[in-house]
Amino acid sequence: MAYIELENVSFCYPGQSRPVLREINLSILNKGVTAITGANGSGKTTLSKLLTGILLPTKGRIKLNGQLLTSLTLTQIGRQIGYVFQNPDKQLFCETVEEEIAFGVRNLGLPPDQAAQKVREVMDYFELTRHAQAYPLSLSAGEKRRLALAAVFALEPGLLLLDEPTTGLDPYRKKLLGDYLDKMLAAGRGVVLISHDQKFINRYATRLMGLQDGQFIEE
Amino acid sequence: MTGLDPRTKIVIIICLSTLAVFLNEPWPLLLLFVFTLVVLLLMRINFFRMAMRFKKLLPLLLLMLIIQSVFTAGGEVMFSFQGVHILTTNGIHSSLCILFRLLTFFSSAMIIMTSNSKDYVLALVQLKIPYEIAFMVLVALRFLPVFIEEIRDTLVAMQLRGIDLQRIPWRHKIKFYTHLFAPLLSSVMLKAHQLAITMEARAFRIYRRRTYLRLLQYRVADYVVMGFFVIATIAVLTRGFLY
Ligand SMILES: Nc1ncnc2c1ncn2[C@@H]1O[C@H](COP(=O)(O)OP(=O)(O)O)[C@@H](O)[C@H]1O
Ligand SMILES: [Mg+2]
Repeated sequence: MAYIELENVSFCYPGQSRPVLREINLSILNKGVTAITGANGSGKTTLSKLLTGILLPTKGRIKLNGQLLTSLTLTQIGRQIGYVFQNPDKQLFCETVEEEIAFGVRNLGLPPDQAAQKVREVMDYFELTRHAQAYPLSLSAGEKRRLALAAVFALEPGLLLLDEPTTGLDPYRKKLLGDYLDKMLAAGRGVVLISHDQKFINRYATRLMGLQDGQFIEE
Repeated sequence: MTGLDPRTKIVIIICLSTLAVFLNEPWPLLLLFVFTLVVLLLMRINFFRMAMRFKKLLPLLLLMLIIQSVFTAGGEVMFSFQGVHILTTNGIHSSLCILFRLLTFFSSAMIIMTSNSKDYVLALVQLKIPYEIAFMVLVALRFLPVFIEEIRDTLVAMQLRGIDLQRIPWRHKIKFYTHLFAPLLSSVMLKAHQLAITMEARAFRIYRRRTYLRLLQYRVADYVVMGFFVIATIAVLTRGFLY
């Protein structure tokens, strides 16, 4: 069954006449890497905000695991979709790296010792232990992205949604990111990758979608 | 009235709010409020649509009015409970004054929104306020929506990470709202820093004298409107001394 299902979804920002997205039908599975490409301003980020319920479609409907997205709270959606913003600065709001990861873990309702264990594991997995006490916003761009990824990953969502994750990463960090994606897939989770990094997409994508004039063309 | 000079609009707002401060009777204040509404109508501002946006503040206003009328003593007692005077004519009198006064402030401030922020900077400069100060005002106006947007993003990020702000009790909520400040502060500092560099790169203050592409020019209507408001305000304020 499709993890996310879009039915005739259109979206138009308030006060604008031209819709950003027009009549989109799409289903996304929680396996494999679905890559979404498109020129600047083609509506990729807008689409990702629709998928996470941050924006509501002007027309059509979106279902997540068979439930209407409008009937879920952001909190419930966050458990199922791990969304890394195009600008990860905006989703880091704690005093230390450790806190940042613990923030989501604490909301999972685990007993304290298990929660602490999980925070350590996630930090280790994303090679952030070295920076555990650092201030998140003072990390380098690549580290911030890794931290944002780790923070949403800790909630164990079935699907990761990454908006232009390779921006500003050096080849080595890109490779690391790719390795995380592989690990994610191995753990039975899906990934939606918004990017126009052709090389990266060619290497990791299992399905390629192009966004043009508000509509999708499958490639 | 829509094409007035921003300086004229500032004068109108100053006149209306001065009157609202000095008038102290419910009837004149009501009249002033109605007059302000007429001015808004002439400027094609929809007062009621604007007011709807602030409807969340309504309970606060109501509470203030009740407190005001309960704690003002004197006049005839209209309602008392076990010898305590709860509602007196003076209480109603003063809370009506406050209501109309606030409404007048609020609605006259709406006049500001009919010009864009650049015009106000020009207006300030042409009122001989240093450009540096005027520019700061412009920057503040320019970045306010950006910061609001950022706060909204952080709130979304918090919710996506499992905090349901609608469900948690108030005393915990405050703790989570403190999380909003760190990213905001850091982004304010960053933006200020970048702006400073950009400004220098574009030769801000390289010459003592700045010239402007466009100058604000008073028209006849501006003189008429300004004259009317200033004279009417002075007349109303001094009528007490005349009699
Ligand atoms: N908050 C907003 N308000 C109005 N228009 C917006 C907003 N965000 C984006 N847009 C417009 O929507 C279009 C798509 O933007 P976006 O989804 O960010 O594109 P992409 O991520 O593909 O570069 C752009 O033309 C942009 O100007
Ligand atoms: Mg984008």
